[in-house]
Amino acid sequence: MPSSQTPPAGATAVDPTAVRPDIADARIIRVGPADLRATLAGLKADGFTMLLDAGGADYPGRDPRFDVVYHLLNLKPGAATVAAVGRPERVRVLCGVPEAEPVVPSVADLWPAANWAEREIFDLFGIRFDGHPDLRRIQMPADWEGHPLRKDYPLRGPARERSPRPNFALKSNVGAGTPASGRTAAALQKQIAAARGQAVPKDDAS
Amino acid sequence: MAVAELPGGQFLLAKLDDVARWAQSSSVWPLTMGLACCAIEMMTATAPEYDLARFGSEVFRASPRQADLMIVSGRVAQKMAPVVKRLYDQMADPKWVISMGACASSGGVFDNYAIVQGVDQVVPVDVYVPGCPPTPDGLLYAVNLIQQQIRQGGRGGILARA
Amino acid sequence: MVLSMGPQHPSTHGVLQAVTEIEGETVMKAEPEIGYLHTGIEKSAENLFWTQASTVIERMDYLSPLSNACCYVMGVEQLLGITDEIPLRARQSRVLLCELHRIASHCVWLGTGGIDLGAISGFFYAFDLREKILDLTELSGGARMHPNYLRIGGLRDDLPQGFIDRLDALIEMYPRRMREMRNLLQANPILQDRMVDVGILSADDALAWGITGPALRGSGVAYDVRRAFPYSGYENYEFDVITRSEGDAYARFLVRLDEMDESMRIVRQVRKELDTPGPVMIDDTKYAAPPKETIALSMEALIHHFKIVSEGFRVPPGDVYQAIEGPRGELGYYIVSNGDNRPWRVRTRPPSMYNLQVLKQIAVGELIADMVVMIGSLDPVFGEVDR
Repeated sequence: MPSSQTPPAGATAVDPTAVRPDIADARIIRVGPADLRATLAGLKADGFTMLLDAGGADYPGRDPRFDVVYHLLNLKPGAATVAAVGRPERVRVLCGVPEAEPVVPSVADLWPAANWAEREIFDLFGIRFDGHPDLRRIQMPADWEGHPLRKDYPLRGPARERSPRPNFALKSNVGAGTPASGRTAAALQKQIAAARGQAVPKDDAS
Repeated sequence: MAVAELPGGQFLLAKLDDVARWAQSSSVWPLTMGLACCAIEMMTATAPEYDLARFGSEVFRASPRQADLMIVSGRVAQKMAPVVKRLYDQMADPKWVISMGACASSGGVFDNYAIVQGVDQVVPVDVYVPGCPPTPDGLLYAVNLIQQQIRQGGRGGILARA
Repeated sequence: MVLSMGPQHPSTHGVLQAVTEIEGETVMKAEPEIGYLHTGIEKSAENLFWTQASTVIERMDYLSPLSNACCYVMGVEQLLGITDEIPLRARQSRVLLCELHRIASHCVWLGTGGIDLGAISGFFYAFDLREKILDLTELSGGARMHPNYLRIGGLRDDLPQGFIDRLDALIEMYPRRMREMRNLLQANPILQDRMVDVGILSADDALAWGITGPALRGSGVAYDVRRAFPYSGYENYEFDVITRSEGDAYARFLVRLDEMDESMRIVRQVRKELDTPGPVMIDDTKYAAPPKETIALSMEALIHHFKIVSEGFRVPPGDVYQAIEGPRGELGYYIVSNGDNRPWRVRTRPPSMYNLQVLKQIAVGELIADMVVMIGSLDPVFGEVDR
């Protein structure tokens, strides 16, 4: 059963957006916070009248740590039939936001739809939006501390974080991160290290 | 309810407590406390196929002052918990609480930061209904259990006078 | 005067706190406050296997649960690159169930919309129709709501015996039931008085606020994801995209009613195709658990089943945005995989959240009594707004 304490099953990518397969779901543009407004304003002037969504993502192994992802669609207000709508174009703008300075310009004046979306990213990731008319928490209570969707925020919240696995469950957890203790566990550690060809850990009498 | 018929006359004899409890159990009016998916099944319980009204719950009252049963139907988020508590406090005695569904009873599928793990951390609960969501039959049975509890004397055997 | 409508209110369609400033009976400012149902579904999904995540994701739009699941599994199938290998019968069943759930969701909208205005009889008719659809969901998936019937790669099981007969019975009773509901509500002068010219939304505003679905089509823009970006075989079915140009609550009301009829039109077309049997799960053993009958006979099948259930499968790294036309509008999932057996991020594009936000604009100048009408005409589901 997976849990927030289960380590990944194998080799994983630090930046999935850089190694994505060839799926034609949108035209993808990557920018930094400095050129974000210019890019989005340019797209809006080009006919991308609709901001479908703005969301955040956290990649702690990567710098910049966060991504703010904007999904745009170029619908025309006068498109009153299916033929007139045709197949609109989707654009995905990914803006990398560094952890040290998590500030991004707000686009709530370009598309009013962005108002709540940016508040939610602020609430759940802690990224501030410069120029937002009313930047405050939206999903969590106003006095909540922490930003829940960050990867270092525990799943069950800081108050209920389960304690690490007790010693008797160590056999299934050997090598996964919780240090082994006790003679049987230590012997098992040595056997596994030897089998993997790694350095055999020293005997710590415990 | 112990009822005795007096000889030779058209009179019934019973204790006042029993009559009061019979009246209260026959007209339990729920508060509209629909939170999430269970609320839809709660609404379905008032719909023709299941029909909660035939058990006396003729109307759902929006005002806590006019309701005596709070059916907490759905997951209780951190922001909503104080609201639930406040509404419970505003309800007049005697009042009962059904915790409908897995989320209201124990946090359900959502063992995380955002959901209160069981509404009984916020208000005292009389009947828990398992299910995700429970079928409307389950809710009807829970209301029946509340009615039984009322007729047997309420919580702790003490039933506040109307 | 500042009035707080909600978060406990019989007519806000869920836990919405609409903080309204009124002057007499006119609304000067409306600020909806959400978050009273924030469930952390996206964070929960990051800690469950790919197959398990659809259980929590189904609970977002709880009026049409299979739509959420359909969009999510299609997104993961794109990341896996198996979209073209999904069997035909699985695609047809997904279309069938999505359309049935659209009708079911609109039944709730219609019933509760009527109750908000005092028209209680419509509620009983609408929920009885919904019962028939929930019967079908229970028969095929095992539960009335949240059946978790869709799997990455197809369906969990084929449609059971008796499903087609019940579907035929539903198709047969549907026109009469719709006629009854339309007679009760559509031409009702009280309903028209309360809905016509209330909450007017222009096409330009709708696009700027990110509105999709019947609310956008009620303002004249014919954007329907089933037509613009067809998925799961929708290009093979004939149906109209209903639009109106007035942009008021009555226009959105009519759009949804007619949409129910169009959904039933698709259901009738799919039903004919379901007479042809076929597999419902892809052959690829990496993602599909072996059929239950083989587990007792074959050691490999047993081990394979064990590994799929206890370890899941890994999805190659990448990100994808998959959208469907949900009952409320464009429901999208931005799914990111980092190569692990659990999703890295499942960002939902919640149509109800964007649809509800426009209340800030369309409520200004209307009467306080119209707030309920406007919220109903936008049809929000708070499981989706707050997630």
